[in-house]
Amino acid sequence: MFGSPSLARLAPLLLLPAIGLLLPGYLPQYYLYLGNVIMMYAVLAIGLDLLLGWAGQFAFAHIAFFGIGVYGTALLQIKLKLPFILAMPGAALLAGLIGLLIAIPATRLRAVYLALATFAFAEGAQWVFNAWESMTNGADGLRIPAPSLFGHVMGNDPAAFPLVATLLALVLAATMYLTTSKLGRALCAVRESEHAAAASGVDVRGTKVIAFAISAVYAGIAGGMFTLYESFANPEVFGFAQIVLVLSMIVVGGLGSVPGVLIGTVLLGVLPTVMRTTMRDLLVWQELVYGVILILAMMFMPRGIWGFIRRKRRAVRT
Amino acid sequence: MTLILQALASGVVTGCVYSLIALSLVIVYKSTDVINFAGGEIVMVGGYIGMFALLFLGIPYVLIFVFSALATFALGAAFDRVVLHKVLGRAVPGQSILVAMVIATVGLSYVLKGSARLVPYTEEVRRLPPLFTGEPIFLGSVILQPQDIAIVVIAVAVMLALWCFFAFTLTGKALRATSQNPRAAALVGIPVRTMRMTVWGIASALAAIAGILLAPKLLMTPDMGVIVILAFAAAIIGGFTSLPGCIVGGIVLGVIQNLVGLYVASNAISVAPFIVIMLILALRPQGLLGGRVVAKKV
Repeated sequence: MFGSPSLARLAPLLLLPAIGLLLPGYLPQYYLYLGNVIMMYAVLAIGLDLLLGWAGQFAFAHIAFFGIGVYGTALLQIKLKLPFILAMPGAALLAGLIGLLIAIPATRLRAVYLALATFAFAEGAQWVFNAWESMTNGADGLRIPAPSLFGHVMGNDPAAFPLVATLLALVLAATMYLTTSKLGRALCAVRESEHAAAASGVDVRGTKVIAFAISAVYAGIAGGMFTLYESFANPEVFGFAQIVLVLSMIVVGGLGSVPGVLIGTVLLGVLPTVMRTTMRDLLVWQELVYGVILILAMMFMPRGIWGFIRRKRRAVRT
Repeated sequence: MTLILQALASGVVTGCVYSLIALSLVIVYKSTDVINFAGGEIVMVGGYIGMFALLFLGIPYVLIFVFSALATFALGAAFDRVVLHKVLGRAVPGQSILVAMVIATVGLSYVLKGSARLVPYTEEVRRLPPLFTGEPIFLGSVILQPQDIAIVVIAVAVMLALWCFFAFTLTGKALRATSQNPRAAALVGIPVRTMRMTVWGIASALAAIAGILLAPKLLMTPDMGVIVILAFAAAIIGGFTSLPGCIVGGIVLGVIQNLVGLYVASNAISVAPFIVIMLILALRPQGLLGGRVVAKKV
């Protein structure tokens, strides 16, 4: 569990870029789009899970950092003419830096206050995306230039798919290192008991601030991934509904576990599509169905699907 | 000067409604530790129930407050009994129950919004007629509509009733005991579970009354629940655990909004509550009236 992840555990991740290169030849565009969306959400959800599931900090600001990642990546390319390979890490770092600045006052707050402060920050950021028209083009939306990497022009689903898959693999590998590192253990310690963690020599506030910043970097990377396959960014994408979606992915899948978060991401990422095809005339029902799913998940699977599977497996073994 | 006075007066009027919604959030938080993200949707549902009662049941305007309050009381109590009770019972040690509870209320907000959209009458934007019509009233140079006066009077009456309930009735005292220390309350024989349901019911009824008061001033749509953010801001100004704080916070926020509209820019009105929330939490997390923040003991 602890120490660096073994090569045997990291090796399966190589499958992702391989699949990413192969699939665009075989799948219709729509499935590639769905794949891109789900992989992007996976990065977003894993980033939020580091903060919520691992460090136990209930924060809503994630979607704002995602927005900073999207607008940052696009604007660094448009305004500063940076190539994508510099623009995306630049935007992710910017998200991380803003995350760090927010975290310093925010980590003084606990539970409900932290949730509300970060909620307010997210809503404020969305307002900025709307109001700063000279940069973001406001509510009309910003046209994202097709990014290119070593001459490979993206901006559509088949072309972006391999890179999106590779980025997901890198993020998963980084998460494996992170969660098995000393910092990963410190995060769990802070979640379980701040007093006990402090007594064992963990710098509680520092750990929280770092968790906040790293989580913001993940969201920034997800923002960069978004610009690979989408050609349009609109402030509506960064609203409360989105943060609820990501939150439900984590909670339905299973807090604090990467496999759980991936399961939740796939399920809730595919759900709107399934509903659109099976409930064609019933679009108005979507919100209702979605709410019922959230409530039922909380009532019957408090540890998410992954927790449920693990408990069943343990029950079979004994 | 007239402009400022007018802004202050209309700030107080809207602030009274924010205070009501903030009270509904805070009594739930104080006694059940849940941040109710469905608070705004209960306001919306309360407004619509009032509208339907007026349109289809022919209930007189004054009584739709009672009708809608009773209906939402049942809704809130049922949500606590059926959903939250179960979520609480399934609490996993080592995992914050807050997250599960909050997600459940977010689920409720989607269910309510989704249900409201299914009702044919919500497709068009609607508006309740004002409770009182008539000549505007001049207070010096300030103009107030009769509806504004009605809002303030009803809001204050509801707040007074709430205060009397908490201060003088046995149930009210039991509720306060439960929110201070559920275990000790259970030990002296207070039915804690029923108290939680009652609080959810009362909170929902408060939100519904706010909804009917707002309905003539705002446009009614299934999305009008976003108003809850103003109530959150009001509650935070007041410290999030103080009932008088909520009332002060609501009025302060109403006034701030109007002054921002007057002196800064009209498109800054919508961002003012968020800035207020962040400033208060960064500088004075206990709110204007809240006491020192202490870690809650069991």
